[in-house]
Amino acid sequence: MDLLTFSLHNIFALLQQMSVFLVIAYLFTKSLFFRSFHINTLRWRQLLFLYFVFSIFSILGTYFGLPINDAIANTRAIGAVLAGIIGGPVLGVAVGLTAGIHRFSLGGFTASACGLSTCAEGLVGGLVHIYLIRSYQQHRLLSPTVAFFTTFVAEILQMAIILLVAKPFSASYALVKVIALPMILANSTGAAIFVSIIRDQRRMYDELSVTFSAKALKMAEQTVAILGHGFNRKTARDVAQVIHQETGVGAVAITDKKHVLAFVGDGNDHHHVGHKVSSTQTLKAIRENRIVYADGGKNKWRCNLSENCPLGSVLCVPLRLDDELIGTINLFEPKNKLFLVTNKTLGEGIAKLLSDQILYSHYIEQKNLLTVAELKLIQAQINPHFLFNALNTIIAISRKDAGRSRDLLMHLSNFFRKNLKRTGTISTLKEELNHVNSYLIIEKARFEDKLQLEIDCDPELLHLKLPIFTLQPIVENAIKHGISTLLGPGLIRLSAKKDQGLVHISIEDNGGAFEKQSQKGLGMNIVEKRIKNLCGDDHNLHISCIPGQQTVITLTIPEQGCKER
Amino acid sequence: MITALVVDDELHAREEMQALLEQTNVIEVIGSCSNGIDALKAINTLRPQVLFLDIQMPVISGFELLNMVHQDIMPHVVFVTAYDQYSLQAFEEKTLDYLLKPVDSERLAKTITKLSRTIVEKSEPVYQAEQIHRIPCSFGNRIKLTPLAEVEFVSTDGGGVQINTKDSTCFTEVTLKVLEERTPFLRCHKQFLINLDGVNEIILLDAGRAKIKTHSGKLIPVSRHFLKRIKKKILL
Repeated sequence: MDLLTFSLHNIFALLQQMSVFLVIAYLFTKSLFFRSFHINTLRWRQLLFLYFVFSIFSILGTYFGLPINDAIANTRAIGAVLAGIIGGPVLGVAVGLTAGIHRFSLGGFTASACGLSTCAEGLVGGLVHIYLIRSYQQHRLLSPTVAFFTTFVAEILQMAIILLVAKPFSASYALVKVIALPMILANSTGAAIFVSIIRDQRRMYDELSVTFSAKALKMAEQTVAILGHGFNRKTARDVAQVIHQETGVGAVAITDKKHVLAFVGDGNDHHHVGHKVSSTQTLKAIRENRIVYADGGKNKWRCNLSENCPLGSVLCVPLRLDDELIGTINLFEPKNKLFLVTNKTLGEGIAKLLSDQILYSHYIEQKNLLTVAELKLIQAQINPHFLFNALNTIIAISRKDAGRSRDLLMHLSNFFRKNLKRTGTISTLKEELNHVNSYLIIEKARFEDKLQLEIDCDPELLHLKLPIFTLQPIVENAIKHGISTLLGPGLIRLSAKKDQGLVHISIEDNGGAFEKQSQKGLGMNIVEKRIKNLCGDDHNLHISCIPGQQTVITLTIPEQGCKER
Repeated sequence: MITALVVDDELHAREEMQALLEQTNVIEVIGSCSNGIDALKAINTLRPQVLFLDIQMPVISGFELLNMVHQDIMPHVVFVTAYDQYSLQAFEEKTLDYLLKPVDSERLAKTITKLSRTIVEKSEPVYQAEQIHRIPCSFGNRIKLTPLAEVEFVSTDGGGVQINTKDSTCFTEVTLKVLEERTPFLRCHKQFLINLDGVNEIILLDAGRAKIKTHSGKLIPVSRHFLKRIKKKILL
């Protein structure tokens, strides 16, 4: 047989056994282990697993080898080199050693040379691993090109070792001449194909999870916006539409504990919004507060409303608010379609997500309700002291000055009307000043010469928008806790000034009694909370107090005003 | 005529009360004060029979004021307030009556009837006074509430009562007698009260007399009569 045909024959024979290998490699990539492993973070258990897998590859490579001249032309190198590239020098040498010892045990004049060279090949793979990691090229660990050339070099090394170690040299030389080319080519190609199989499988999984995540994120984004308006029929319909569109399932239904809130997709001719929940599985999910799944195979979904319902499988997931079931979300597939596992996972995830969102919007709603309630409270909390003292003052004044007492009654009336009638959350500085003005005029009458007022507001700021009922509680505080504790004359100074994009509104009194109040008090707290809520978190209410001399409350508001939320 | 003192921090409220009282033709308003300190002075000097007293006032409230009035000169008290946040019924028994602002003249007439009867029956006004914790004290035209702990001793020279702290002296309208009764201060001399916490040493002299040296080094006379009591108190 002439050398060339023998070589070609060998190449084909080796390629044939390589195919067997590649089938095994393909099966390996289908294994559960493969899905869970990440090449950059191998744990010792995974390393151990890889050790066994590659050792078996390597040993099988020897077994499937072609006996030539008392030696074996084989694909043993693939296992060792790849173990080195993927798992590093330790794994590479370990696999090489194992396969090498095995080869050694089979005997022949190249036994020791082959055993040794397999170790060396594992080491070559390992060195390439180290090089790639050190030069931040981890992504090339699974590159077919790298695998090809590494194996290529490793095989040349093996041939060299055979020539050097195997005796007699003439025999080894003859052998190498025959096997070198087929083995180098077969092993290199095999390694490259093996790696590309692994890589393609991984890429498929990655792409799958990328699409999956993208879908989930897109849905999350859309549903967050919808559920911000609460959980009701309208938002349920919108959410169902989003899920229907994004998952591509046959139909989506959202229910509360008793009724259908939304139904989108196939079968909407007989599944109507507002009907009582009829689906056996949904009722079970509600009753037992757990996920119920009818896969459409053994466990079929049967429509209780229509014989002709196209739907055949369902996933019912409870929606919960603080662990309490408030409804369900149902994903249906038609009878002729399989319920995809990804859709099942996605469905469960969506329900969890929606539950969280409902909880959140519920919380926000509660928070808003609370602020509204608190606002009502300050409005209603017109200090009875103020009212009766005001009336008493006006009565006293009416004895001497009927005109003035009439004026004061008009202011009192204005003040009360404003308190009762003002709605919404935002007002202008002008309106706030008007409200406070009536209040101050009455207080001024009460204290007469004991109270002096100074108001200094930049006229440009009169249209500044700020939370309603911001000034009155602070001015009231300044009088109640500041001025009224003074034996001597009192001074209230109210000013509004612009400064570097901010407006500072300050209310100053000369009581300096703030330190005695350990906390801000309900009124002040609500004012501060509302400023933060409506004008932004970095705007606030600042208190400075020089005991016995002065208290200044400063509100900081953005120049462009605050916004209704 | 029944003599009355009106105490309220609001000018118009005082004037209104005064006007209403004068309309009754039974009451003679002998003074009106805008704060508790002035009122205490007026009570001590004018000795009104009845007090129309606002509760919420700067520095010292109506209640605190009553704690500073000696039982012997305690007038009958009618509280006048805008709003019964103090749940005045609870004080009804302690005081003669209470009125809500704005004061209704018919309601006031009832109070006057009750007042007249009480005065005719000569029943003494009884106000359950409480301990004093802070003493109103004037420095020039400023008034400060001095906590008892800061006081070393109290003295009088006939012209007025002086509160002596470690580094200052001020005048108060509260009498020595009231302070003796309603603070833990001890009488050590006809003209002196001593805060035992402020005593540094007691120097015994002949004839059973002694001197007390305060922490700030001032010397206070102790008369024989009071020395025994002080010794007993500090377990000598």
